[in-house]
Amino acid sequence: MNPAAIYTHNSDYVQRDVAGECILVPIRRNLTESNSIYVLNETGAALWRRIDGIRSLQTIANEFVEEYDVTAEQFHQDLQTLLTDLLSIHAIHEVTVTDGPTG
Amino acid sequence: MVPLDKIRSLPERFPLSCQWEITCRCNLRCAMCYTNCLNRQEFIRRELSTAEMLRILDEMADAGTLELCLTGGEPLSRPDFFLIYEQAVRRGFLVTVFTNGTLITDSEADRFAALPPHRIEVSLHGSTPQTFERVTQHQGSYHRCLRAIRLLLDRHLPLTLKTTALSLNQHEILSIKQYAASLGSVRFKLGQDLRSELDGGAGPFRYALSETERQELNRKDPLLWEEACRQSQTDLPPCRSGMQKFHIDAYGGMQLCSGNRRQSYDLRNGSFREGFFEVLPAFACEHKKPELSALLQLMTHRG
Repeated sequence: MNPAAIYTHNSDYVQRDVAGECILVPIRRNLTESNSIYVLNETGAALWRRIDGIRSLQTIANEFVEEYDVTAEQFHQDLQTLLTDLLSIHAIHEVTVTDGPTG
Repeated sequence: MVPLDKIRSLPERFPLSCQWEITCRCNLRCAMCYTNCLNRQEFIRRELSTAEMLRILDEMADAGTLELCLTGGEPLSRPDFFLIYEQAVRRGFLVTVFTNGTLITDSEADRFAALPPHRIEVSLHGSTPQTFERVTQHQGSYHRCLRAIRLLLDRHLPLTLKTTALSLNQHEILSIKQYAASLGSVRFKLGQDLRSELDGGAGPFRYALSETERQELNRKDPLLWEEACRQSQTDLPPCRSGMQKFHIDAYGGMQLCSGNRRQSYDLRNGSFREGFFEVLPAFACEHKKPELSALLQLMTHRG
């Protein structure tokens, strides 16, 4: 994970708030996934809202550790898991090419 | 992050699912249709405008409505259908479209493919032109419907074929079901209940099957029989309409469900939230479990 990387939402997903749940609805779906929606937990929802095409992962991490009672290590794990999940369904994509290490 | 096919935990009362009869306009005249009586200029003129529909759509999205079924009439007969449909998909509704298919050409199929529906249900009322058009009372509609099915399948859209069992088509129900099965990913649904026209007319019942005919039909197919048995159970759960599901008619009236329009909240002159949360709970339905109204109730103990 490159801390300088900046990600943005894929416009093929719409985020909805439904009965307190943060839901991602794919709006350009194929037949195999036509019945799936994705629910983010509280941490996932807070992260999703910060992925804005402007803030780097490092900035997001700093904000998070400051705002929530969470260690940097724990947060790093959560962030890595969420990014992997979101990238696997193409809900986000990286917007900048940076000089830092990747992976 | 968890992939789901439905929301797991909802408040007891939440506007999750809307069936919206966006127009009573239709290019066909199906024998059993309950909306066709309003398919006349003087009624069409009173249907919701595009701006009104978009405003209600926004209010529903803000309130958390997720499932949206656009029906009619024939929804595609509204000139602004795709404007409304595409706005609904872009707002993140899971949109199902009920259509007779006959207005779907390459152009419409391409628009559906660009922003696919959650599901599209096409009414196929016969497996031959003669039977199909005896139901729809419109020459050429059979081939247009089959063309739509092919266009939608070519674009890998999630398709359901459905029909209503009538005296006019009962002999072709199973072949329609077989046709759906032959298409691979296509589901099949059979409706067996008719209802009065919206102006109170009893026209559709002229084509109703007798109980014996229904039983004969259902006995011919294991899945139809299973569903008939399920529906004949006396301990079905109480109706949930108005709790997590609701209906809106073509004029902006919000009701408990399509089959119960005795009371209506006017969304033209009120807000969606007020209608759903404050007015709908007071609407009557004979299928609802009665709420306990008294703090102390007399119970009879049978020892």
